[in-house]
Amino acid sequence: MSENSPDSSGKIGYVVLGATKAEGGTRTVSFRLGGESDLPFIGMNTGQGSIPLVAFEICDDPEYWSPIVTSYTGDLSNDAREWAGVAEKQYGADIIRLYLTSTKRRGFDNFSSITTVMEEVLSGTGLPLVVEGSNEPAIDSDVFQRCGEAGEGERLLLGTAEAGRYRSVAAAALAYHHSVLAQSPIDINLAKQLNILLREIGVKADHIMIDPYTGTLGYGFEYSYSVMERIRSAALKGDTDLAMPMITSATDSLSVKEVREADPAALEDIAVEWEFYAALSSAIAGSSVVCVRHPKTVPLLKSAFRELWAGKMPGEA
Amino acid sequence: MTDIDTAITLGNASLKEKLNAIDGPLAYEETAYHLPVAYALTGRPVHTGKEAILAYTLTKENPFVACESILALSEQGPGREPAPYTGFIGDAVLRKLGYSLVDGSILGLALLIGTPANAETASRICRELQEKYMLTFLAGDVVPALSLASVKLGLEYRLIPLGSTSVHGVHFVDIITRVALMFGGVVPGDPGRLLAYANQRAKAIAIVFPGLDNEGIALVDALRLLGIPIISLGGYEGGEWIATAPEDAVREGMERKGIKVTVTAIPIPMSCSPAFEGKSIRKEEMYVEFGGGRSPAFELLRVKPASEVTDGLIRVTGPEIGSLKEGSAVPLGIIVEVAGKSMRTDFEPVLERRIHNFVNYGEGSWHVAQRDLIWVRISKEAVNNGIKIEHIGKLIATKFRIDFPDLLDAVQVTLVTDLDAVLKGKKEAEAIYEERDLRIQGMKDTDVDLFYSCTLCQTFAPNHVCIITPERPALCGAISWLDGKIAYEISPSGANQPVEKGNVIDRVKGEFDGVNRFVKKASHGEVERCSLYSIMEYPMTCCGCFECIALMLPEVNGIMVVNREYKGDTPSGMSFSTLAGTIGGGAQTPGFAGISKNYILSDRFLQDEGGIERLVWLPSLVKEELKERLVQKLNELGHPELFDKIADETKATTLEELVAFLDEVQAPALTMKPLL
Repeated sequence: MSENSPDSSGKIGYVVLGATKAEGGTRTVSFRLGGESDLPFIGMNTGQGSIPLVAFEICDDPEYWSPIVTSYTGDLSNDAREWAGVAEKQYGADIIRLYLTSTKRRGFDNFSSITTVMEEVLSGTGLPLVVEGSNEPAIDSDVFQRCGEAGEGERLLLGTAEAGRYRSVAAAALAYHHSVLAQSPIDINLAKQLNILLREIGVKADHIMIDPYTGTLGYGFEYSYSVMERIRSAALKGDTDLAMPMITSATDSLSVKEVREADPAALEDIAVEWEFYAALSSAIAGSSVVCVRHPKTVPLLKSAFRELWAGKMPGEA
Repeated sequence: MTDIDTAITLGNASLKEKLNAIDGPLAYEETAYHLPVAYALTGRPVHTGKEAILAYTLTKENPFVACESILALSEQGPGREPAPYTGFIGDAVLRKLGYSLVDGSILGLALLIGTPANAETASRICRELQEKYMLTFLAGDVVPALSLASVKLGLEYRLIPLGSTSVHGVHFVDIITRVALMFGGVVPGDPGRLLAYANQRAKAIAIVFPGLDNEGIALVDALRLLGIPIISLGGYEGGEWIATAPEDAVREGMERKGIKVTVTAIPIPMSCSPAFEGKSIRKEEMYVEFGGGRSPAFELLRVKPASEVTDGLIRVTGPEIGSLKEGSAVPLGIIVEVAGKSMRTDFEPVLERRIHNFVNYGEGSWHVAQRDLIWVRISKEAVNNGIKIEHIGKLIATKFRIDFPDLLDAVQVTLVTDLDAVLKGKKEAEAIYEERDLRIQGMKDTDVDLFYSCTLCQTFAPNHVCIITPERPALCGAISWLDGKIAYEISPSGANQPVEKGNVIDRVKGEFDGVNRFVKKASHGEVERCSLYSIMEYPMTCCGCFECIALMLPEVNGIMVVNREYKGDTPSGMSFSTLAGTIGGGAQTPGFAGISKNYILSDRFLQDEGGIERLVWLPSLVKEELKERLVQKLNELGHPELFDKIADETKATTLEELVAFLDEVQAPALTMKPLL
């Protein structure tokens, strides 16, 4: 407990992402996230948890991806396996977040392709995976079952669970021992309610990460920041239903007006800056994992985190 | 007729004999759980006959352990039964089944066992189970019977033939056991938790045809320990099986285990959505109307035993829409009958109020008021689209099932349009309304140990907590203590939670240590104390939804109340909106409180400040609205003259005018104990 937050009695629980060979998986590294017992940058020397991690987001169907990214990566984005490997080795990401955008196609029913993509990405990188499964409630059941099954033993983070739509994600997490990414729309009470729903269905607190939903900078980020602060303060005051590490992704960063309408010559830099500042601010608000899509944002964030969290090591499990 | 108890004894004896004769290694393929039932109950992996006998002894001769061990020997290798029989189901398939159970695409598990007298009955039961999203397992003679009737079997049809003998039914149990181990956090060797899981979480039923052998009877009867209802289709006597006619078997079993089919669509030719709730149907747009003083009408919701309610049954007594004259006023009785295991008579009025919302959800149907004051209209457009009176019943019945899936198992609706029948029904309904009023009005805070919280508004007032008591409804006026109680039962992790009253700290102020504890936690440590019956010390916080604001006027030693609808100036010098801005947001503001209109009539109103005698000003609209009940209450207190001593905006809109008025009428507040 820190002197700066005399009320705090709670501590953020741990969630482990990824499993190494010794832990029954095939990842080269696994991370233990959480453990904070104070607000970020208050009582600097105690209770700060570990340095935030950077997840790089990729997808299996680049048609549904920002052209700013795909024009930078070129053909690479057509091959999820390669892309994941490059994200690890060249961009320097800590985690890969795979979006199964192929499920957005109208009438999608090629469920075996999900298993294939999962296997490819798992073989393309040794990093822990976050997997964003279905984009359509009607196929949730089929999609998440396959995501869960293909990643059995790898301790994935499966998303996205929402209050009205969490059963399939939770079922896949329970059946194949993964964690759940629980997203609520910038609302502390809904965040808590969802965690309770997940608990009731059988998902344990150490298998849940909170996604408070992140509006991008200038487009509602201040609400996200405030909710993250409140979620964290409530947890530190002893509310165990909110005492989970957070993950954030300001996915709109690449499509805000300022980026869309930027001078083509400066577009990439502006896009990266927008993404960088939204992600940095999320980390400062207490996010353990920040997710970005532009390759150039990754090293910038890593270096900023190293300076801000001087001396803190990544939470290797 | 087979006597169950005798058969159990014989069956167990024969199982024991077979178990003792086991010789050779025991194992099932593709599982990490050894012999799952023995493993779960004892924590010991069983791989030999000796170990099996030990496990059998340790579990006090559990027939599941015996069956499981016997089959583990015979099902190995070449002993495995040919297709369509599945035998033991491996972990990988089971994980998928478990996934579908958690995910909700399978609602529950059923075991069909025994010898069906005719295949048609068995296939009908299977079809019903399929339609109700149950995963059905078959063991023994039921399998060939179904095959003969050309019923398709297999996982993809959700009909799984486990094996050719009744003993194969034990695979049903090893499946439930492994689901508990995989998904329920049950640890091997903890039979208590396994039984608790099976009883509370496993949604399983067994349907037994006649002709089961003794071993099968011993096995099936042991399912009762797991909380599985055993529906018997005849041929057995004694024991505790539930004898049921074949056509009721599935419904009976699912009801007993609380397995509910969720309903999502309302099958009527009219859009239904809360979006239409605010619309009105003007006279010119109306095809027909009911009630509203133009014709007798009433609505009534009643709880009935499950046997008297057929889910989805809609009846219209009297003329249908086609024989009604356009533009006419027609009598109407809406009678909703519901059944549900946890449904109780005191829930009736709360559910009955929902009829109002539901009818308004219809694009072409409109509803105001309640009980025998209802006024309902159906639009011309709706009638042109084919809406009938029957459909209004369908809408009501379906919405009840959608909105209260856990509370209600069956809803049937009768719509009466025949004058004599309406008059008769209305009379009966009125007697019931009166009974209800007495019940709720009679309820005192001292009669209960639990209050209910409401934190619905924490979305925008993060630290606000409403404490709802029988005598103090929520400040928004929309949630009474009973509503809070029901909301909690319907959604146990929702915004209404039970609050232990705890010890009395101050009876007059209404301060309780349990309430304080709750409020402190729910307000995230912001509010330490809360007096329920005082606005001067530690009053309840306000979100922003209050129907009225009560506030102290020190100059006249009294308290005024202003309602949301009142737009003018008040003697406090502030309008409602200014006041609301001052006290909302979850803050505790001594001297101010957000309250509901009905709370004004409560015995607990301003209890610490001296009761209703303190009330010095109330806008005429509220005064008029509450008049009848307020006068009655003042009479009871022996102060009938007080009603006219409460000022309103016609008497005073400034403090000076109020002082003058109160002096003139000699209001009691002036001479009461000083507020400050």
